[in-house]
Amino acid sequence: MAPPEKQTRMPWELTLPETWPGAGHPLDAASAADTSMEKEAFAAFYARSAKSLWAYLTRASSDAALADDLMQESYVRFLCAERAPSLTADGEAAARLYLFRIATNLLRDHWRRPRTACIEEIPEEFFASGSNARQSENQILLEPALRQMKPRERQLLWLAHAEGYSHREIAQIMGLGTASIRLLLFRARRKIATLLRAGDAKEAEGRRW
Amino acid sequence: MKLTSCANEKEVRELITRGCWPAACTPELRAHVSACRACGDLVLVAQAFRQARAESTAAARPVSPALLLWRAELRRHDAAMERIGRPIFGAQIFAFAVMLVAALGFAGLEAREGAAWATWAFWRDWLAQLPQAAAAHWRGWSSGAADTSGWSWMVLAAAAASLLLLSGAAIFLANDQ
Repeated sequence: MAPPEKQTRMPWELTLPETWPGAGHPLDAASAADTSMEKEAFAAFYARSAKSLWAYLTRASSDAALADDLMQESYVRFLCAERAPSLTADGEAAARLYLFRIATNLLRDHWRRPRTACIEEIPEEFFASGSNARQSENQILLEPALRQMKPRERQLLWLAHAEGYSHREIAQIMGLGTASIRLLLFRARRKIATLLRAGDAKEAEGRRW
Repeated sequence: MKLTSCANEKEVRELITRGCWPAACTPELRAHVSACRACGDLVLVAQAFRQARAESTAAARPVSPALLLWRAELRRHDAAMERIGRPIFGAQIFAFAVMLVAALGFAGLEAREGAAWATWAFWRDWLAQLPQAAAAHWRGWSSGAADTSGWSWMVLAAAAASLLLLSGAAIFLANDQ
């Protein structure tokens, strides 16, 4: 029979995570291995998901600096959340969905913060991109079209067509009903398709002259 | 706007997701897409967004995961400290309230039994005599003479202790806010 483990910490100390290396009590071997495994799992998950999350935040907000901040905050909240899906037990897909939900809520909070008006009433100029970076032909057509869309429509379109999420998954991320997603997405897709075609025609006209 | 979906939409979507559009699709499906508004919209939008995603992910420069782990650990630590501090603060408030109730109860009891110090007139006179009494105590203390009035010392010590306790509580509350 194994000898009883020596209690080296007070109960309240066990609730405190080790923040400063060497400052606290030494963790036992099993716990250290678990932590190390979790850190490795997180690093791998981060490597696979960070770029797509950043792309989503950048396109939805049209602000790269804001996307940087919100991305970091999303991961920190993900790591701190008590009910966040475990990377090892629940799988990466569930964790990714949860992460996108956090990011969506952060975006919503950000849009709501400067004013008390509804998110849909914020003028589109507020979201306009100030970047003068070299743009591809696709960006030249897509950016102006996206700027004319409402923030929620951009989020929906990005999640559906760039990330390839199903209606049910988008409903989970956005906190809306699946039936609403179907209708909203249909409308948004028709609207942006019209804008893209109009932009394309304008571009062709410009090239001809 | 009427929601009109097409039966081929699912197939077209799968082809785009797998990256097989338009190379790996049948000529019939291609002809259908060029004629169907819903499928045409889907192809146009999905291709534009997929390309935009590829461009954006290539431009992304994420920070080190170690930094995020450290920030999360720090936040968890702060939250844990706050959780621990909450009952301590509650206990302090409770102790202060008990002390206050006990003091008020004691004062009320004394007043009912007719103690002289529990009346307003006593304190008015005491305040009037305080400068002379303090000077007398100071003279006695500085000359090294033993004070025969132990009661006065006890009152002074209790007052100083109360003042210290209240100051500590006030500083704690001010810092907390």
